Amino acid sequence: MTLVQIPTPPPLPVRDKTAGRALSPMLTRLAEERATGILVREHGTLYLAEGRVVHAESPFAPGLDVLLTAHGTLASAAWQRAAARASGPLRAAELLLDEGLLPAGALELCHLDAVYDAGYFTLAPSSTPGRFRYDNTPRVGPLPSVPVVALERETLRRRLLLHRLWPDPAADGAPLIRTDPARAAPVTPRQRAVLDRVDGVRTAVGIARNLGRQAFHTLVDVRRLAAAGHVTPLAPHPPEPRVTAPSPLPPPPVTDPDIALLKRLRDALEAL
Amino acid sequence: MANTETALKEALTSVEGATGVALVDYTSGMALGTLGGSKSFDMNVAAAGNTDVIRAKMRTMEMLGLKGEIEDVLITLSDQYHLIRLLKSRGGNGLFLYLVLDSSRANLAMARHQLKKIEQELEI
Repeated sequence: MTLVQIPTPPPLPVRDKTAGRALSPMLTRLAEERATGILVREHGTLYLAEGRVVHAESPFAPGLDVLLTAHGTLASAAWQRAAARASGPLRAAELLLDEGLLPAGALELCHLDAVYDAGYFTLAPSSTPGRFRYDNTPRVGPLPSVPVVALERETLRRRLLLHRLWPDPAADGAPLIRTDPARAAPVTPRQRAVLDRVDGVRTAVGIARNLGRQAFHTLVDVRRLAAAGHVTPLAPHPPEPRVTAPSPLPPPPVTDPDIALLKRLRDALEAL
Repeated sequence: MANTETALKEALTSVEGATGVALVDYTSGMALGTLGGSKSFDMNVAAAGNTDVIRAKMRTMEMLGLKGEIEDVLITLSDQYHLIRLLKSRGGNGLFLYLVLDSSRANLAMARHQLKKIEQELEI
């Protein structure tokens, strides 16, 4: 009888779970190869220099110009003059720094705020693949740059934070309307400013731009307000009333204030 | 006006007994800059956690209808002091400085005074 040696079978291919959790595998790869260029995704653009994020832009997040000029850190005329001479917002900011019109600390903080804010929206789940263009224009300048892993970690943390506050993301993109909560929870001054701008037309992003605040911070306020029952998103498509269908009897008028609370509870449970 | 790194460095070197410092955005809980700390004391985690402290205090003040603003918050542990100072700014930037002190070496009044000075230099 001969002993047959059965070779151990090759290991089955297993999907790498850690790779699947990256926000953008392409971005991770670009960071590893220390690429320089521009990554365009569905909801925003990241500027990479030697694998680090030097600048980020998103149509959802107010830019550096808005953050700098909204609260009097910088006169808007000074910004416009610099922007006319520079090729982009980052160059304009560096120009202002060189001329001494802008304190270094204020610029640094606004820049970091803008990068993390735009980065959050840029790394949001997208329906189309991102494109990367190798380009030598982005470079590590005097302003702080952010490692890709730090931006990804922060984006994930922000997503979790929003989810913890109020799990329904509907309030993020839709126009907002005010509701009267049965028992009004106290509103902080920051939230009050947001609440004052809820008019049935503006979205959270529009309110952020109007206030000159970061968009993510406004989302935090909006989700808190939604959780407290102060605001609710306007339904995107109100159903067209059909003339032919026999109209059902209108529900009896309800005055019980607990209905609002129950509705919010139902929404929250559904969103879980 | 100092930049973030200079301000943090100054806090860590000039304040007696300082072992870690962070500049934190309390809306998102993100540390915009950290310095010091150790393997067992992650400044980023401390920054995010203390955000909840500030928020809770603000909410309580709101409920009580207090009009004053928080200048600083002091937490004393058996071997450490944690000093939190809110940055005053025109635009409601929502930032605070977070300083960790070794209680055996620190002078609390002096640390508070110095942190106030650093905050003024960093004012936006």
